[in-house]
This record gives sequence, structure tokens and C-alpha cells, in this order.
Amino acid sequence: MALEIICLIKQVPDSNEVEIDPVTFTLKRATARNVINPSDENALEAALRIKDKNDAKITVISMGPPFADVAILEAMARGGDRGILITDRAFAGADTYPTGLTLAAAINKIGKFDIIFAGEESTDASTGHVGPGVAEFLGIEQASYTSNSWFENGYVYADRELEYGTETVKMKPPCLITVLTNSNIPRNATLRRKIDAQRKGVETWTLKDLDLKPEWVGKSGSPTVVQGMKGIMEKKREGKRYGIDDLGKLVDEMISSGVLKL
Amino acid sequence: MSGLLNAKVAEKPDEYKNVMIFLETRDGKIAKPALEMITAGSKLARDVNEKLIGVVMSDDVSSLSDEAGYYGCDIVIGLQSKALKEFRTLPYAAMFSDVIMEMKPNIVLVAATRNGRDMASRVAVRCRTGVAADCTEFEIDKKTRIMVGRKPSYGDSAFAEILCKDYRPQMATARPGTFIPPERDEKRKFQKDIRNVKIPDEFLGKEIVEFKPKKEMDLSSAKVIVSGGLGLGKPSGFKLIDELAKELNGQVGATRPVVDLGWISRDHQIGQTGQTVRPDIYIAAGISGSPQHTMGMKKSGIIISINSDPDAEINQISDYIITADLYTAIPKLLEEIRKRKGATVEEEIVKEAGTQKKVRSKKKKENEE
Repeated sequence: MALEIICLIKQVPDSNEVEIDPVTFTLKRATARNVINPSDENALEAALRIKDKNDAKITVISMGPPFADVAILEAMARGGDRGILITDRAFAGADTYPTGLTLAAAINKIGKFDIIFAGEESTDASTGHVGPGVAEFLGIEQASYTSNSWFENGYVYADRELEYGTETVKMKPPCLITVLTNSNIPRNATLRRKIDAQRKGVETWTLKDLDLKPEWVGKSGSPTVVQGMKGIMEKKREGKRYGIDDLGKLVDEMISSGVLKL
Repeated sequence: MSGLLNAKVAEKPDEYKNVMIFLETRDGKIAKPALEMITAGSKLARDVNEKLIGVVMSDDVSSLSDEAGYYGCDIVIGLQSKALKEFRTLPYAAMFSDVIMEMKPNIVLVAATRNGRDMASRVAVRCRTGVAADCTEFEIDKKTRIMVGRKPSYGDSAFAEILCKDYRPQMATARPGTFIPPERDEKRKFQKDIRNVKIPDEFLGKEIVEFKPKKEMDLSSAKVIVSGGLGLGKPSGFKLIDELAKELNGQVGATRPVVDLGWISRDHQIGQTGQTVRPDIYIAAGISGSPQHTMGMKKSGIIISINSDPDAEINQISDYIITADLYTAIPKLLEEIRKRKGATVEEEIVKEAGTQKKVRSKKKKENEE
């Protein structure tokens, strides 16, 4: 039987293009191009590499606004087989708890699955909590911050990159894997696959398609609130300039002010 | 498969008291990021006259729990089981959640290390509460005992202030390298509660089949960091960076682009997706100063930029600006430092004739640190 793989992706504003309103500290989303969240691209590639070697089917799921279907189509054009967009006004303003809950409900609706892939974190919220949250809601094993993963003799293996070393873990499916940014080189979409993806299209699921109550999702289901933004007080820096011939003076100054201890 | 559960508003928030922290271990010791949580947690606890509860897990917690007390936990809960010898998500998340639900702390802090985040996400769901991720500042309202977690956002230009008003406990993870670990003091008084626990088989599905340790590049405790960016122009530029770092007893840092290019390994990366550091001296060579990088080093004592561009963004947050080609400036800087170093050593030798050995062993000790 084919391995059922699910890949969770998020559409985010391109972090290289994001502008911030200096007064309100909110993102000027309109000015930035939308892209697939970087580590989600690596998650998709990790899923595709398992599909390269095994009989597998990949379902790409994203929760977001209606225009996030573009990201799903792109993922399908790279090798995803099915695309589902979870979108509803009711989901707006969700923190990580209801986001995980909603994605888990969608996965439950799909039914059978063996491996779920997700990026390590999104660039616009950078919590890293959604992937493991989904695993907890589904009650399955997880391996986070992985650089490599493979399927062998019925087991899922993954290399977790930790601050103090690399651990290789072995799990029975179903399980969830989160993938590190830049851990692989995502493949390009092919023209044939692009056409194929357009033809298949993206399925859209809303709140009523899922086994959830309106008060469980979106802002009303979120335990945390962002009270507001606060400017960060910067330390005043002198910015004294030195040319190449003054470097001796600079070293002396640092020694005499006690900063540099030789 | 468990049924899906929504987050749950705490009916009696007043019943939740004290601050609880997770004490991650490494090599049989409490990890430095966890010690930092003692600093952050005890401040919050003291502000509202509550206690700091540390939770530590391993196969043998006897000395670990003493250490937790010496570093400042008022109450130490040690959970002991062979299955807790090393960190694994499910047994750790399940045991920690059980202690939380039993003791009902008002606040729970976990250091945002990779394993810390791995576990905290699941603990929050198990306890049906919210978590403020990756904070660098905390504050508690003395009356309402509601905590504000401040998380640097948008390339560190602002804090997002995150609250978890109606749910308990109020959970947060904190960015490693942000708080200064407390002093160890064996005279500190604390309560110890060591429990032998049984881990249900359902949590033991994941097996660690191999572990390749690496020397932890703990940039967060370095006093001096010399970092290189794209301005180096070539991977071999890091040789020069390394030379300067060694001369100053420091460590080597890097920006994300050069790590992505493979010029240096990822454990040297400083910034949004890398480490946060606050050395006494930070030397940025060939670094333009994108917010993604500066958010990881802005709090350094002294920042020195070496950049051929007089208008490089990094200059705006620098104390000393060297506008020059780094391949000229760094050798010159090395020369000037070595000149003065030679002088100091000679002086010491003259002053303390016969105590040369002492001087040398002291230097050696500093190097080891």
C-alpha cells in the first residue's frame, strides 16, 4: 500500500521584502511578495525524497487566506499529489493552539496517514510550535529539527540536529517530522507538473467541513493575545570612526577604558 | 488517537500559584539555558512573593536536584526513571504536564532550546493553554499576576507583547543567551521532592538509535566574538577572522548568508535563526548589518564594525567604526594588539620576576574558560 504523506505548508510574506510600519510596528503585507515559508519548502523536499524511493502519495495542506492556494499549487507543481486549502473567516487571528487543532482536524478528516512533514518554524511568527502541536492533537510521535529522514523496513528514521550533537531516531508510523531550513535543496517545479496541478486544482475546506466548533478556532480559540507592539529601546552607540592608521589608537582606547583585557 | 480538545479557560485562575521551570540537562548537568530560566523565573516569583519550582528529569536525579537548589530553585521536583535518561519528546512532555496539572503553577517557563521547544509545544496542548514563544523579557503584574512575555519581532525593531490572560498556566519559552545564569551557592535552602515514576509504554515508541555528539559551540558565553559576513568575499576569509578571535581569546561568529553558502558551519550562526549573543566585544567584519543578523548581537557590550562601506547599516549600532578593507584592517589590528600584548607580558615578567609560571598558568586557565 502506498505511503500516505501529508505536508503542511504556510504562505508567508517574503522576509527579504517585508517592510514594517515604523509607527504601528505592523507588517506592510501588501508590499511584500508571498512565498512558501522557507523551511516548509525543505519539508516538502524531504517528503518528495521519500516519495522518490517509495510508493507514496503526498497531500499538501495549508491553512490561510483564499489566495494561499498559489502556494499549494506551487507545492503540487514540485511533486505534491493533492492540495487542500483550509480557509474560513472563522480561522483568522489564530495563535498556535487553534492552528494546530484545525490542521489536526483536517488530517483526521483525510483519515489514513503515515508521515506528516512540516517546516521547523514560519518566518513570520517563528514559534516552531505548530508542527509538534499537530502531533500532540493527533497523539503521534514526532521528530523535530531534522536535517534528513528516510523510510526503511516499515520504520521512519530522522536525524535531529541539536545544539550538542545529532541524534538519529527511529519511529513507527504514523509520526510527524519537522524539517530545518536549508537542510536540502528544494527541487523546481516542472512545466508538465504545473499544468497538471492547475488541472487538478486545490480543494477548499471551511469550518463546516471539519469536526470543530466555531469558538474553538481563530481568535476566539486562542489562549494568547498580542497586547500590542512596543519599540525596543536601543542602547546609544557612539559610532566613533577610525581609519586604517588610527587602529593603534583604537586598541589603546579600548585597553584604557577597560573593555579590552590582554 | 486522542480526541481533539479546544483550549480551556481556567475557571479559578487564583488557584494557580508559583512559577515552574523545566530544567533541561546535558551530560548529567543542568544545561546553561535552563540555569537562565532560574534567573528569569525567580525574578517573576519574587515579584509576587511566590516560589520557584524547578522540575528535572533523568535516570538519576539526586545530584541534579541538589544543583537545581544551589542555583536558586525553592522547590525541586526530580522525576526519576530509566526511560528519562535522555530527552525524548513523549515521556518528557507527559511527565512535565502531569506535574503541571498536579501543582497548578501560575507560570511555566521553558528555555527555547530545540528540545525545549519540541516539548513545550506539546505540553501546552496537553495542559490546554497558550504559550508565548521565544521571549527575551518578562514582566508580571503584581495585582493580577498576569505575565507579559516580550518577543522580539520584525528583525528586532519591536517587541510583541504576548499575554495569556484567561488560561493557566501562563506558559512561555525564552530565548537562550538572554538571561544571565545565577550564582551557585551550596548554602541555599530548598525543598527536594524526588519521585520514581513509571512511564507508560505508549510514550516509548521513539528510539534513539545513534547519537553523534559535537562540541557545543556555545557562543552565548563568549566574552569576545569576531564575526564574518559576505564582505569576506571568500570562504578562506574565515582564517583571518579565526586568527583575530584566537588572539582575543574569543569565538568565531557568522551571518546567515555565509553559513548558507557553506563557508562556515551553522553552529557559528548569529541572528534570528541562529544564536543570540551578548559578548563584551563584538567585532563585525564584512557584515552589512541586516536586522536578521543584528537581532542576535545588538546587546553586545561594545560593537566594532570593519567595513569598506562608510554607510554600512551596521555602523548605526557600532561604538567603533573602522572604514577600511578588512584584509588590511584585521592584520593591522592584530599587529597593534600583539605589540601591546608583548609589552604586557614583558612588564609582568619584570614586575613579578620568579612568578612567571603563575602568569602562564593563569593565562592558560583563561583560555580554557
